[in-house]
Amino acid sequence: MPAATASGGGARAEEAAASSSSAPSCVGMRPEELAARLAAAGGPGAAAGDGGGAGGEEGEQERVLALREIKNQIIGNRTKKLLYLRLGAVPAVVAALAEPGASPAALVQAAAAAGSFACGVDDGARAVLDAGAAGHLTRLLAHPDEKVVDACARALRMIYQSKQAPKFDVNNEKNMDFLLSLLDSKNENVTELAANIISHSCDSNTEQLALCGAGVPQKLVGLFGGSMNLRDACLDSMTAIIRDNCDVASRFASMDHGKYFRSIVGLIHDRSPRTRLLSCLCLIALGHASPCHFPDRQIKTKLILVLLELIEEPGNVGDEAPLALTTLIKDSVELQKQAFSTNAVVKLSNHLLANSLETRRAVTILFALAELCSKQEESRSQLMSGQVSTLILDALKHDCADIRVAACSCLKNISRSSKVLSAGRISCDTVIAPLVQLLYDSSTSVQIAALGAICNIAVNLTPRKSVLLHSGVVSQLVNLSKSMDPTLRLKSVWALRNIMFLLNPKDKDFILKELTVSTLSSLICDSEHFVQEQTLALVQNLLDGHVDSVNYVIAEDGMVLNAISRQLNSASAPGVCVQGMLVLANMAAGDELNKEAVMDVIVPHQADRIKSSFVVNFLQSKDKQLRVATLWCILNLIYPKCDTSSTRVTRLQNVGVISQVKGMMNDPCLDCKNTRQRLAKEKLGKGALHRDVCREP
Amino acid sequence: MNPFVWRRGKAEKLLSLPVLEECFCACRQLPASMASSKKVVTRDEWERKLRDVKIRKEDMNRLVMNFLVTEGFVDAADKFRIESGTQPDIDLATITDRMEVKKAVQSGNVQEAIEKINDLNPTILDTNPQLYFHLQQQKLIELIRVGKINEALEFAQEELAPRGEENQAFLEEIEKTVALLVFEDVKNCPYGELLDVSQRLKTASEVNAAILTSQSHEKDPKLPSLLKMLIWTQNQLHEKAAYPRISNFSTAALEDPAI
Repeated sequence: MPAATASGGGARAEEAAASSSSAPSCVGMRPEELAARLAAAGGPGAAAGDGGGAGGEEGEQERVLALREIKNQIIGNRTKKLLYLRLGAVPAVVAALAEPGASPAALVQAAAAAGSFACGVDDGARAVLDAGAAGHLTRLLAHPDEKVVDACARALRMIYQSKQAPKFDVNNEKNMDFLLSLLDSKNENVTELAANIISHSCDSNTEQLALCGAGVPQKLVGLFGGSMNLRDACLDSMTAIIRDNCDVASRFASMDHGKYFRSIVGLIHDRSPRTRLLSCLCLIALGHASPCHFPDRQIKTKLILVLLELIEEPGNVGDEAPLALTTLIKDSVELQKQAFSTNAVVKLSNHLLANSLETRRAVTILFALAELCSKQEESRSQLMSGQVSTLILDALKHDCADIRVAACSCLKNISRSSKVLSAGRISCDTVIAPLVQLLYDSSTSVQIAALGAICNIAVNLTPRKSVLLHSGVVSQLVNLSKSMDPTLRLKSVWALRNIMFLLNPKDKDFILKELTVSTLSSLICDSEHFVQEQTLALVQNLLDGHVDSVNYVIAEDGMVLNAISRQLNSASAPGVCVQGMLVLANMAAGDELNKEAVMDVIVPHQADRIKSSFVVNFLQSKDKQLRVATLWCILNLIYPKCDTSSTRVTRLQNVGVISQVKGMMNDPCLDCKNTRQRLAKEKLGKGALHRDVCREP
Repeated sequence: MNPFVWRRGKAEKLLSLPVLEECFCACRQLPASMASSKKVVTRDEWERKLRDVKIRKEDMNRLVMNFLVTEGFVDAADKFRIESGTQPDIDLATITDRMEVKKAVQSGNVQEAIEKINDLNPTILDTNPQLYFHLQQQKLIELIRVGKINEALEFAQEELAPRGEENQAFLEEIEKTVALLVFEDVKNCPYGELLDVSQRLKTASEVNAAILTSQSHEKDPKLPSLLKMLIWTQNQLHEKAAYPRISNFSTAALEDPAI
């Protein structure tokens, strides 16, 4: 082996040129030369030993040296990987794996180089796969030389860690047998490879069931006794087999009277932090997939404690621990309460304060804090009263988009609290101004996160809405409501709807002037039904308590009303119909003109061609909310009793609405029944108005 | 706060240590005003208690083997394996390789070290960008040390600059290292410590730890942790009792309790 020196640089080319004529040496050689030499060393020409290429033993030796040098240049070095890719070195490297008489030394170097090309560079992984490396490497796992097997298993692990690698089809019986044989290997590099293949390939229900049926979980747990790295790989693939699969999860939990389950629980106190994290993740996946097989509250409390401790760990483990905690406590009031009582908010906050915002850890901690505040009032006020609240505001202006998103989701969840909002800590310029600024952000995910926070802040801002209105938020929300991105449209309309809630007439006019009637009607007919629904809820809040607002609905030849009519007649999604009927109900609570306009929508005018009104269908709907909304609308139309309302009753009778209402005497829904009774008695107060806000989930 | 309550809280964490528990009970019987007068454990009494504690020979041997393996005393480990029959938890041949890598870094042969690491396990440097960067940085430092200024500049531009683009922290490190080129008297310039032997040792120990981790081996030996725990425990106990403590850990001699 040529002696390696620390010298590189200027003399490299000459040195290489000088040495290549005497002894085969590749150290320090320029990539172009090296790639060419490798290409010449390989192939049938070289094997024949003629022409310019080197053949025989010497040729083989030269090839090993060239492969080794390429390997040493590319490992850890992205730039060099891309350079060699451009020079077309990958097929030559893989060709060395295919050579029937290749020496173990050449195979080891070629496998290592192929593995390195596949690591961290997508193009590299693709090139390695395109050259057929996976097949050669897999075949070489049966090579008699253990060093070759090690090198090939490591290279395949690199390949299977790339997203570019194809899924290993475990539904194929032959493949499954092969995988099982890998799991039974004595070589830990090979068993670890098997675990990596499972983690990479297993994501559908059938695959999970197939692996479980073949006894893979038992084998994986059996390998826990091996090295630390192997155990971690096995834990990771256990999680992949269990994730979101109730069947597999419950089978695993009860396997051998819970022995396998307990062996994973035992690992949450392992010495290695990474093992602790991975076993927590496995148990969290198990708990989510099969809650009934994981009722043990004690274990969940332990998981919270272990994860909070892991946040102190350096590197990847500490970065990922807050995310695992987030997944664990998601949607569970009880676990969030428990996390709060173990001082999670304080611990996470202190950690955030002690470190810079630059890191991935800051992002994951902010997400964990956001989750803690999603349902827990105490968490919210604790977070807002601490020093961290200032830090969250700084994070809104941070350079890194992920940090801005995370800070927004914290604010979104904190502002679910009426208490915090009415204390005025969020509804002030210092918070609202930067949030509104984020609506102009170049990243869509930041815009969406900021909209979420603004939605919730708008809900409880009633006395102080002017702060928001005069922050320039409305015009940007209107802009976003015309975005190509459906989520941006949804959330901007949602925010407008919440701002509109209980707003004074002057400010409602202000919003409508920005929004315009034509935008409003096109949003009602948006391609996405969730946008339609939000827009109709916005119209509802617009009509509530403000007589003149109706003008917007019937303005410009009734553009908005026509849009609503179109949606109701085309039997859109149930949610859209409910909101549409509530808009009509609010309108019908107005004067004669309004009532008649509503009548024109729900009763088709052509008396000769009696077409059944959609109202009849709505009254028969399985959706009780739709039935109630429709009943309210009819109630408002026929109240108060007078000549014109009797005409309306007749018209409704003609299209079969009244008989349908009569038939609803025994409606299973109490709301429907009550409304119907009031309808029958016709001795009601003023018809009900509907207005509503909805917090961002 | 009542000092006893506070101490009790501390002591309860250590219930697994019988000596402490007894001591705490003794404390509790004392009136608050006499908190400073500690229970005295004589040397005889102490040695008698220690005689009752059982330690397994195999555990001791394993701790010693763990120390030899982690610290890289490969010949000693091999002899110890033969003489004591204790099996190391790692292939002894890999220790030799690891030590060679470590030695290469310590003597400034960074390229040699990189190649040896790649022979040992090519995934180490590919999955550990920070270590790879530190080795490249060390390589630059070595070039500067021997005064190969042009080579150093070219290396910094071609090999290190792309790493700096990938990572802000790396960029700052590169700037510090390249700054060495500006000074006449590099040894005494602000970043002169980069040329110090301690920098090589730092890199070498990072390499050592990464190789051990790749072999599923803990990167620190267990004996030092055990000693640390002993010191901590003695300090805890010292607040509550006078007893024969060990101050000199090279002899492990018990000292008479100071009364």
